[in-house]
Amino acid sequence: MTVAIKIDSINKSYGELQALDDINLEIRKGEFFGLLGPNGAGKSTLIGILGGLVNKDSGSITVLGKDTVKDYRETKLSLGIVPQEIAFDPYFNVRETLKIQSGYFGIRDNDEKIDEILDALGLTDKAEKGPRELSGGMKRRLLIAKALVHDPEIIVLDEPTAGVDVELRNSLWEYVIKLNKEGKTIILTTHYLEEAETLCDRIGIMNKGKVVKVDTKDNLINSIDRKLLKVKVDKTSDDLGEVFASYKLDVDDKNKEFEIEVSKNQLDKVLSLINSLDTTILDMNISSPRLEDVFLKLTQLGGGQD
Amino acid sequence: MVKIRSIIFYSLIKREILRFSKVAVQTVFAPLISTSLYLIIFAYSFQNREAVGYNIPYIDFIVPGLIIMSLIQNSFANTSSSLIVAKYQGNIVDLLLAPFSHIQLSLGFMIGGIARGMLVGFVIYLVSIFFYGGSVAYPFLAIIFALIISGIFSLLGIIAGLWAEKFDHVSIFSNFFITPLTFLSGVFYSVRGLPGIWSEVSLFNPVFYMVDMVRYAFVGQSDISPWLSLIIVGASFLALLYLVTHLFKIGYKVKS
Ligand SMILES: Nc1ncnc2c1ncn2[C@@H]1O[C@H](COP(=O)(O)OP(=O)(O)OP(=O)(O)O)[C@@H](O)[C@H]1O
Ligand SMILES: [Mg+2]
Repeated sequence: MTVAIKIDSINKSYGELQALDDINLEIRKGEFFGLLGPNGAGKSTLIGILGGLVNKDSGSITVLGKDTVKDYRETKLSLGIVPQEIAFDPYFNVRETLKIQSGYFGIRDNDEKIDEILDALGLTDKAEKGPRELSGGMKRRLLIAKALVHDPEIIVLDEPTAGVDVELRNSLWEYVIKLNKEGKTIILTTHYLEEAETLCDRIGIMNKGKVVKVDTKDNLINSIDRKLLKVKVDKTSDDLGEVFASYKLDVDDKNKEFEIEVSKNQLDKVLSLINSLDTTILDMNISSPRLEDVFLKLTQLGGGQD
Repeated sequence: MVKIRSIIFYSLIKREILRFSKVAVQTVFAPLISTSLYLIIFAYSFQNREAVGYNIPYIDFIVPGLIIMSLIQNSFANTSSSLIVAKYQGNIVDLLLAPFSHIQLSLGFMIGGIARGMLVGFVIYLVSIFFYGGSVAYPFLAIIFALIISGIFSLLGIIAGLWAEKFDHVSIFSNFFITPLTFLSGVFYSVRGLPGIWSEVSLFNPVFYMVDMVRYAFVGQSDISPWLSLIIVGASFLALLYLVTHLFKIGYKVKS
């Protein structure tokens, strides 16, 4: 079986608001999947339905072939969900919390795994601290740790890096990548698109309760056929505008630089035009679109500003 | 799978018991002190008096009532505050994300409430030995009755905790519902001795049956048949257990 999660025609509305509108999505086993979308797109609602925090209106979700409503106990055992909202149990310190959490998932003696997670998330020296004594970022780490104690097959991270410092981000990603290499399926939502760009194999983009695009990261980025050529020359002549009349050109006389936006099949032509200029090329840089460009393009399809 | 499920269930019970143990000053010692004060006051104010309609000293009459009263209050307080705090702090999601069955959630919370109610009730019994000697006519029945009663109020506490959106709401539930029903249930007096219609009105108070049947277990006398009380109280228990399990199933006020 290669499908980890199959989401089938999920609908959810809050009163008038259609938070999820006929969502269909398949997450494959072992992949690192990015679920992106602007605020209010419906990402957390979808994750909530997956984990049993939110009641759906219609549709179904299976996790490793089991239905999340009918076989909820099995599906919950295979999922490790890090919710977006920080929440903690005020009565117990970090280690106690993780022990109780292990018990909730049917594991009695879990000290080894707990120590491993504490270490990976930089919480070892906070293990005996109560949640009120933890800083915001550390509470976030505890939230992540809680979702991992039962070594779930599928790990869902709903904005795990919000409010977390660079050091933890790096160690968190190192740990998550290791888990992914071991075969765990990872689903990540984040507003840091560079994170998604470096980490994810496939990406789904949501907007206003709909999945607007699902593809591999590379295909998504390549779907924008646009290269940006930045050329530094010894002098910017006035005829640049004429030579590149049919292209989008931006000249910076002060720094003796100009930029041209081209599609791939224009590259050859433009390069020979540049070559024919009566100037010396000092430096040149070609940049490809970023995930961010794709994201903006897709989420503004509806014309919204959100 | 059976083993995993029993660990899961046991963990919830353990968590519930650890929770109130961590704040034992407030959850165990405070009620102990207030009930001990009642015992001192009643023991000295009503020295040498008999309970109306019962040929026993008033203090013997009132001890089972006081024990049941603290059993009720503590079972209720335990589940209701555990849930309202979990909702307020947001860690209720831990329970929703974990693979508990709905009946496990009901029973797990309920057993936590029973544990605290029985603990406080038992310690109060130990204290009461100094006041009346400590004899119990049917100890086994007393324990069974106490378990069912604290089960009922633990379940009511779950309902209150799920229903409440603020801490105030829980006190509304206990101040306007639990306390009046308890005080008017015959903890402090025999319903038999009430004038006219009031003794009949008391029969509509479910807490009356609970106090009355425990009094039977303690002193061997009661206002009505303890077996009738047991049927009424047992049926209420089962109905509440069913209701609470249903509330967990639909995610009443915890799932959006
Ligand atoms: N409990 C609720 N009651 C009413 N509306 C809700 C509720 N939860 C979410 N919504 C609405 O549903 C929509 C989707 O919300 P959701 O939290 O899923 O978005 P999101 O994609 O996770 O956004 P973000 O990136 O800000 O976390 C939003 O318009 C939100 O206001
Ligand atoms: Mg969200």
